[in-house]
Amino acid sequence: MTMPRPFRRAATAVMATVLIGGVLSGCAGSGGDGEVVTLDFFQFKPEAVQDFADIIDDFEAENPDIRVVQNAVPDADTAIRTLLVKDKVPDVLTLNGSGNFGRLAQAGVFHDFTGDPLVDEQNPAVLEILDALGTYEGEEINGLGMANNADGIIYNKQIFAEQGLTVPTTWDELIAVCEKLEAAGIPAFYGTLTDAWTAIPAWNALGGQLQPEDFFDRMREEGGDVGPDAEVSFSKDYPEAMDKLQQLYSFAQDDYRSRGYEDGNLAFANGESAMYLQGIWTINPILANNPDIELGVFPYPAGDDPADVRLTSGVDVAVTIGRTTPHLEEARRFVEYLLSPEVVDAFVESQVMFSTLADAAPNPNPVLAELVPYFEEGRLIGFIDHQIPPSIPLQPIVQEFLLGGSPEAALRELDNEWRKVALRTTVRE
Amino acid sequence: MTTSTAAPKAAAPATPAGSPPTVRRKRSRLGRTPAAHYWMVVPALVLFFVLHTVPVIVGVFFSFTDYAGYGVWDFVGLRNYGALFQDDRVIEAYGFTFGVAIACTVLVNVIALGIALALNARIKFQALFRGIFFVPYVLSILVVGYVFQYIFANSLPQLLNGIPVFRDNILANPDWAWTAIVFLTVWQGVAFSTILYLAGLQTIPQELYEASSIDGASKRRQFASITFPLIGAFFTINMVLAMKTYLQVFDQIIPLTNGGPGTSTESITLLIFRGGFQGGEYAYQTANAVIYLIVIILVSIFQFKVLSRREAEF
Repeated sequence: MTMPRPFRRAATAVMATVLIGGVLSGCAGSGGDGEVVTLDFFQFKPEAVQDFADIIDDFEAENPDIRVVQNAVPDADTAIRTLLVKDKVPDVLTLNGSGNFGRLAQAGVFHDFTGDPLVDEQNPAVLEILDALGTYEGEEINGLGMANNADGIIYNKQIFAEQGLTVPTTWDELIAVCEKLEAAGIPAFYGTLTDAWTAIPAWNALGGQLQPEDFFDRMREEGGDVGPDAEVSFSKDYPEAMDKLQQLYSFAQDDYRSRGYEDGNLAFANGESAMYLQGIWTINPILANNPDIELGVFPYPAGDDPADVRLTSGVDVAVTIGRTTPHLEEARRFVEYLLSPEVVDAFVESQVMFSTLADAAPNPNPVLAELVPYFEEGRLIGFIDHQIPPSIPLQPIVQEFLLGGSPEAALRELDNEWRKVALRTTVRE
Repeated sequence: MTTSTAAPKAAAPATPAGSPPTVRRKRSRLGRTPAAHYWMVVPALVLFFVLHTVPVIVGVFFSFTDYAGYGVWDFVGLRNYGALFQDDRVIEAYGFTFGVAIACTVLVNVIALGIALALNARIKFQALFRGIFFVPYVLSILVVGYVFQYIFANSLPQLLNGIPVFRDNILANPDWAWTAIVFLTVWQGVAFSTILYLAGLQTIPQELYEASSIDGASKRRQFASITFPLIGAFFTINMVLAMKTYLQVFDQIIPLTNGGPGTSTESITLLIFRGGFQGGEYAYQTANAVIYLIVIILVSIFQFKVLSRREAEF
């Protein structure tokens, strides 16, 4: 019996669909077997696309058997997750050394650098910061630092000189500076609360210095028991930081609620405020708006004793390799090149960052001069928001609080979110 | 496309050649569809199943795990669902979403019906006006959203300096930011409903109006007794479609408020997206999405039941 014709046609259509699908996926699977190995390089930092393009050009000139394709995307944290869902781990990655990096490392996505000579060239403090974020099974080294940032108050040296102000080293001095500026009709800070995250650098620096010892370790131990009656909680230990943050924003310009980050970079560059509650990552955008501005940076003085001031710093650019890459040897060679002293020095100078290498020369940029001692003396603390699970809406809560909420309500919400996340999260052994 | 047009032609001559008994032929023509017709839907069925049904089933499956979207996972049973019902952030998101969806559905339908009636009247440049009123629907909501964000954040504070809510940027006000989202949604959504209502209005026979005006019915009476009952089916479908669409409000929120200030304009879809992709709680938010799917289906069925009951038959 022969097939009825309509059926044959239908069958042909199905076959064609299957075949086309097969051919297409076949295309995606093959490739890379030639002499030149192509590395997929995931690069998270939009400000550094040009720097990395230059680095790649130099690297490719020295290594004709390797081609590196830089993939720079907006919202890298989401992008890398979507790649991972599809089981596509890039060969080489740069990522911000945030809580997200730690969680990915814990999930076993990154290469283990243990025993690699590259580890010995890193500043031990930097390795500690990365280690604290999380590693696979708690014992591997899943990433290396390329650049460290600093979270400090950026100030306009010209305005400070005109008003006869000196850099404050205690909380009271900072408030005195703000009051003098207010009296002179100059907004002390430029607030950009339309973008919720812009409130977080100041929150990190104040909270990180004012919180009790081992706060987050104890919070994690309490887990689902966090609440008003717990031993440690946001409600109990963070009111001072919240009050001080609110106090700072009372010196911001009038329309701080409706301005965004880009507005802030432009306005501060044009001298519309004397200080800016940000970190050193804004220096380049500010200079892009006004190359002639004279900038300085000082750490947030949260307490009464200048000796207690700590600089908040994190790994701005962490470099790592995908665990499953078929081109480990080539990827390793590229990472070695990325972390060679010349490349790192040039990179941190261009990005106005600090080197993560053990025997690095200090960044010659005069803007950073006031921060160098903190790095040399190791008076550093990490970013506390990296310790908070990303499913807690920290940024919106702090933003809402600064837009007119009460500190009690904001801290209660943080405790509540912490408790809920802890209750529904499976703890893996 | 060639398959679908050629197949019936190929099937037609086959029947007389086989010359079955007359009775059976009659029954096969009336009662049964030729097998080829079934085979022709197979490719579409396969595609639908692979691209639509399988992902849904996979999603439901992962809602019973603690999958983060990557890495290893374990089964956790119904724990995600249990946690959802105790999560006040989820409950707040439901409140916000339903509030916005109901407000948008009512406003869109009232305004769209009004515009449709006006555009259906004997006016000059009718086609031109219909085109103009459709423009907002064609524009990308994300692009329009950023334009409106600029208007709300920069223009309105200067224009309406005397009104405190607008002076301080309505988008930064936790109590009023939702009105900006409703405004943009309605502005954009009215066009689609208007088109449907216009189509409905075309189906009403003019004789009814002539007869009723001879009987001395006022315009208002004509609307209440003729127009509205006779476009009942269009009203139903508009209400159901609008509610379903606005329950999934997402694109408008990203450019306008991004869920803020605080979490005051966080819709369910935004929460699912944020928690699932950015918060590393893929499985938990998948459970949220599964529940939400059921809620939307139930709301739509309920609307159909209630609204179809009052549709006029003609």
